[in-house]
Amino acid sequence: MSSNDNDRLVRRLGILAAALALAAVFAGSPYAAQHGQIDVAALAHAVAHEDDHVDAIELAGWIKDRRSDLRVIDVRSREEYDSYHVPTAEHVLLDALATTPFRAGETIVVYSEGGAHAAQAWVFLRARGYDKVFFLRGGLYEWLDQVMSPGLSANAPAKDSAAFKPIAELSRYFGGVPQARAEGPSSTSSLVLKVRRRGC
Amino acid sequence: MRAPFFEFGAFGNYGALLAAVFIGVAFGWCLERAGMGSARKLAGQFYLTDLTVFKVMFSAIITAMLGAFWLGRLGFLDLSRVYVPETFLMPQLVGGLVFGVGFVIGGLCPGTSCVAAATGRGDGAMLLGGMFTGVLLTGLVFRPLEHFYMSTSRGAFTVPQLLHVPYGVGVAIVVSVGLAGFRVAEMVERRSATSQVS
Repeated sequence: MSSNDNDRLVRRLGILAAALALAAVFAGSPYAAQHGQIDVAALAHAVAHEDDHVDAIELAGWIKDRRSDLRVIDVRSREEYDSYHVPTAEHVLLDALATTPFRAGETIVVYSEGGAHAAQAWVFLRARGYDKVFFLRGGLYEWLDQVMSPGLSANAPAKDSAAFKPIAELSRYFGGVPQARAEGPSSTSSLVLKVRRRGC
Repeated sequence: MRAPFFEFGAFGNYGALLAAVFIGVAFGWCLERAGMGSARKLAGQFYLTDLTVFKVMFSAIITAMLGAFWLGRLGFLDLSRVYVPETFLMPQLVGGLVFGVGFVIGGLCPGTSCVAAATGRGDGAMLLGGMFTGVLLTGLVFRPLEHFYMSTSRGAFTVPQLLHVPYGVGVAIVVSVGLAGFRVAEMVERRSATSQVS
C-alpha cells in the first residue's frame, strides 16, 4: 500500500469515526436497548415448583459452606443495611438491580425486609436472563427468627429435638441464640422490632 | 447470541481461557506489527519525532468506545455486564506517575515489554523481569500499603458520569479529542521530519 493510499484510508476511517460519534449523540443510551424478557411460562413453572425461593436455614447453610458462586443481595435501604444485614450480603437497591452485573452461573439470593420486594427483585433478575436466582421466602424476619434465634418448644418430642440440633449449631455459627420456647410470642420480637420500618 | 459471551454462558472457563490466549496472541501480533516492540520507536514519542504509540492508543480507544457504544445500542452487547474497573483516584495518579517515569526510562510499557521480550530483545526481557520483581515486592509489603491502595475510591466511574453528560455525548467528546490529537500528532511528526531534513 502506497503512502497516499494509506493516508486516504486513515482519512476515511477518521471520517467514519466522526460520523459514528456524531450519531451517538442522538442515538440515546446504549443501555436503553437492554430490555429484559420475561418468559412467563418458565417463571410460573419455577413458582409452582417452589424453585423461586430458599428458606433461611438453607441460605445459612450455603453461607456457612462458603459457596464460591453465592451472592447474597440486600435490597433494603442503606440505613437498614448498615443497621443489620445477613452475613456476606451486599447492598444493592432495587432500581440498581437493572444494571448491576452478575457473573454467569452465580447463585443470587435476594432478600428484603419481608418477601415482597425480594420477590420483585427475583422477577427483575430472571427477566435479565439470570437463572440461578432465589429470594429469601420470609425476608430478614425469617432469618432473624429461624437462624438468629430458632426456638424449640419446651415439651417438643424427641424427634423434633434431634432435628433441631443441626439448626441450633448453624444458629451458633452465626452468633445466634437457640432457645427452648414456651408457647407464646417468639423471642425474636425485639430483633424484628430493631429492623422493622414502616411500610413494606 | 449476545455478548459478553462468557457472561451469557456461551463458553465455560476453559473456553474463556482459550479466547484469552487467542486475543492475547492477536494483541501481541498487532503491537509487534505496529513496531511497538522497539524501545527506540517508543522513545520517539518523548522526542516528538514518532508519535505512533499515541496514535495507536487513541485509535484503540476510539475503536473500542465506538464499538462498545454501538454494539450496546443495537442490542448485541449487554453493557451492564461489562466489568468496569473501580477508580481509586490518588493511588492511580501515583501509579500513572510511576508508569510514566518507567516508560521514559525503559522506553517500553508493560504490554510492549512483553512484545519486545517475545521477539528476543534484551531490554524487553529485563523490563519484564523488573515488572514481575516489582509485583512480587509490592505483594510482600502490601499490608502497610493497603490503606493507601484503597483510598479515594470512586467506584466504577466513567467519563459520562464525570462530565454529567449522556453516554453518547461522552463518546462524541472522547472521539473528538482523539481525532484532534491524531491530527496534531501528524502535524508534529511532519514538522519534526522537515526540521530533521533541513
